[in-house]
Amino acid sequence: MSAPDEIGTGDWESLARAAVSSGDREDSVLLRELLAFELGGDPYALPVERVREIVRLRPVTPMPRVPEVVLGVIALRGEVLQVVDLRRRLGMPSADPTRRSRIVVLHAEDGGTTGLLVDAVTEVLRLPESEISESAPGEAETVEALCSRGDEFVSLIDLERVLEVDDV
Amino acid sequence: MQRVLIVEDSATMRALLASTLEGLGDGVEIHEVESGFEALRRMPREAFDLIVTDINMPDINGLELVSFAKTSDVYREIPLIIISTEGSERDREKGLELGADAYLVKPFDPDRLVEIARELLKKRGEED
Amino acid sequence: MAARRSRSRSRRSKAYREFVSEAEEILERMRSDLSDLADQRAGDGDVDPELVNSLFRSAHSLKGLAGMFGLDGLSELAHHLEDVLDGMRLGRVALDSPVAVLMDEAVALFAAEMSHLDDPKQSVETSEAVTELVGRIDVAVREPAPPANDLDGLDLDPAMLRALTEYEEHRLRENLSRGRHIVLVEATFEILAFDEGLAELSEAVRETGEVLSTLPSPGAAPDSQIRFGLLSASDLDADSLRKRIDFQDASVRSVWAPDANAAVPAAAATSAKPHGADGAAEEPAPDLHAEAAEIESLKSISDTVRVDIRKLDELMNLVGELVIQRGAVGSIARRLRSDPSTARAGLELDKVHKLLDRKIQDLQSGVLEVRMVPLRQVFEKLSRVVRRLRRDLDKDVRLELKGADTELDKLIVEELVDPLMHLVRNSFDHAIESGEERRAAGKPQEGTIGVQAFQRGNHVLIEVSDDGRGIDVEAVHTRAVERGIVAVDDVLTQHEKLDLVFSPGFSTRDEITETSGRGVGMDVVKNNLTAVGGVVDVDSREGRGTTVTLTLPITLAIIQALVVGVGDQRYAVPLTAVLETLLVEPGDIQRSEGREILNVRGEALLLRRLAREFGLPEDPQAKPHVVVLGLGDLRLGLLVDRLEGQQDTVIKPVQGPVQNVRGIAGATELGDLGAVLVLDVAAVVEDAYRRREAA
Repeated sequence: MSAPDEIGTGDWESLARAAVSSGDREDSVLLRELLAFELGGDPYALPVERVREIVRLRPVTPMPRVPEVVLGVIALRGEVLQVVDLRRRLGMPSADPTRRSRIVVLHAEDGGTTGLLVDAVTEVLRLPESEISESAPGEAETVEALCSRGDEFVSLIDLERVLEVDDV
Repeated sequence: MQRVLIVEDSATMRALLASTLEGLGDGVEIHEVESGFEALRRMPREAFDLIVTDINMPDINGLELVSFAKTSDVYREIPLIIISTEGSERDREKGLELGADAYLVKPFDPDRLVEIARELLKKRGEED
Repeated sequence: MAARRSRSRSRRSKAYREFVSEAEEILERMRSDLSDLADQRAGDGDVDPELVNSLFRSAHSLKGLAGMFGLDGLSELAHHLEDVLDGMRLGRVALDSPVAVLMDEAVALFAAEMSHLDDPKQSVETSEAVTELVGRIDVAVREPAPPANDLDGLDLDPAMLRALTEYEEHRLRENLSRGRHIVLVEATFEILAFDEGLAELSEAVRETGEVLSTLPSPGAAPDSQIRFGLLSASDLDADSLRKRIDFQDASVRSVWAPDANAAVPAAAATSAKPHGADGAAEEPAPDLHAEAAEIESLKSISDTVRVDIRKLDELMNLVGELVIQRGAVGSIARRLRSDPSTARAGLELDKVHKLLDRKIQDLQSGVLEVRMVPLRQVFEKLSRVVRRLRRDLDKDVRLELKGADTELDKLIVEELVDPLMHLVRNSFDHAIESGEERRAAGKPQEGTIGVQAFQRGNHVLIEVSDDGRGIDVEAVHTRAVERGIVAVDDVLTQHEKLDLVFSPGFSTRDEITETSGRGVGMDVVKNNLTAVGGVVDVDSREGRGTTVTLTLPITLAIIQALVVGVGDQRYAVPLTAVLETLLVEPGDIQRSEGREILNVRGEALLLRRLAREFGLPEDPQAKPHVVVLGLGDLRLGLLVDRLEGQQDTVIKPVQGPVQNVRGIAGATELGDLGAVLVLDVAAVVEDAYRRREAA
């Protein structure tokens, strides 16, 4: 896998490529594919199969009467979808967007679509299940598991929890 | 900020090339056009540091575009990558003879494209 | 099998979707090119080289695309198809009937493969078909003749020869062997506006021959000029061509003239003739009348242009922006008129405003008109599907299509393809009985599916009917009760019971067969139609047949909205709910029991501030505008900072984790402004009165 600053900013294409080529590999080791991204300098990840596409940050129209974690809505090829500020959702302070900021567009389980604002998308990780620990230590609310990448841990976020924003 | 121009008539290939070249990182701006003519129109108005072109296109072909750039005092120094389907070895030879800096075959290896593009952009940056 | 699963999921990615739609477009173009090719073969037998070249380019693109997505079978198929076409355009493969049939089959197989990409079982079966077809193609394509490589006899800059692709070289040889003049036409253009002049020049050259290559080179002033050299083959010599094309500043010189050059260049002599070409080597003397007629017909074809629908969307957005500006002009005119010292100028501006208004409306309907396309292509797809079903299922069914010229917004037509396909398959699969059943019921053995489109007022109706077994209304009802869609004791009319087939999760048969569209139910048909503002209705008589009627807006459900501004934000208010707008002085607003009211022509109008409703900062400096909303008998004045004009908008649902935000009906996309939220007028008015009653 390439270093974050190089190929990592590639969008869905690297996902598509990784996913397509995976079909030719052996299935003897169960590999999970995770989209890795950065948030406040730390590595996070979410399951690749939930990602529809990754787009650059564009102007977000604020929306009234929604929890603060919902930044607002964007128009994307004829659809209008809400964007959740993942920093705020995970209890971090918001940050000014940079060139590396991306909106990860997710398929929602109920058919709708949601955008997640992240600091940067870095790469697609392919990890054997054994590298993914059962749960994060302590009382983690939105982190489902920790995965080891080299000598650091990547936090796998629990999307269902993250998208329950009503009670935030 | 360096600027890359993609010349390709297929929307899908264009999207793939663009997203692959996004891998060059933040210092590079990717521009896309869908025909050789459009490239000819944009080149005098905007300074590009790298042109990536397809060969088979409806108006002028990629070889003609290379020939134009490499015979021009203004554009001669812009590095050029030709991307085409394996088809013809002779097209490849001609492209390189005309002065293209690289010739990649579809389906191209994205990492290789990024590597070549980065190399050419780096050289170009050092010249300026 | 996690890896396999993620593979199929990756098919939802943007690149993948673009691939599928581009591949479908290419296949459609190939079908049309192949049918033109068949016509030309059946006609005078002379095939337009550009047609073969276009097919070659299509196959070439398919190969590249399929390869990029790791679809090896498809890439292989496209590769072989490309080989055949390459051979054909380079004169190595004769275009005879077996080859034409192979190409038809290859395109059909490619399309079939595409349709079950997501079904590994299916694609295993067809990949055997691919191997088999590829084998037959290999037999048909004979060994290529070694390309002759000597074009040195031409009076041409080697750089020009170098920029020719292999195909262009072949065309050059071909024209040499036909004894045509080879000429170089050169002209210099302003670089920023060369298209038109170059197109004119190329067109003029084409009237007497063929443009082999268009080579750009730097002009004398390389910053502002560009020079084009058109390497051309012509029936005329350089002098006659120069007179004929009558193009200012064009130079024409001979590169090769058949009379002057005693010997044909080696290249021409060795130019590969098609294998098995049936003898018609003698070039007949050109028939000038026929040629003139051909030029005429080419001209009439070139009267139409293909336009990317996104460009039309951009135009539509521009029109929308004009409408906003028009609103601004109108309000300036009103302001000027209200001041006696500028009333005269105000009246004049008002006139201009009205004229502008009319022209913008014309422009708007003009742009809408351009988006309209006939249903013909969709109908052709339906015919193909029924033909295939008839073959695969061995069922005797006739498809009657009426109204193929009926026009609809292109985007609606696209959304229609799947539902129509599904309805027709449903009829074929489930509704039309077997031959024996039909005979027993006293019906003709051949079943009929009819698809009829016609315009009625601002709508287009499409009826999909069949003379099959009809829908058993009671069975539908029973099933709906079983599935918990309706309660046992709900009293429903016959029609309401029938409508239950559109409920989510409802399906009248358990078997999922390939032809029924694999689990896509009537609810999906309904959803697809609702998405473009359409309505679907079903009528059925047991034993006699079923008719499903789709009612569609002629263009996308455009509603007029008033765009209002509060602070730095904007909202759209559906114009149907707006009675009037008023500009008020802050002092006009009165308070009563904590409510704000305004005296409007003697009546008290209840006011609400949009900023307060939505928790936005208020602008104390702004002169408030009052948008008077009407909901039934209720009136509400909504205070906003600005009126920004009227817009035609398409309301879309807001997707995301927070659903049903009170007061927001949806959103719309307004050009540069991006997403703009649309007010739910009913909710806003109701809330204002509810709070009033509570208070």
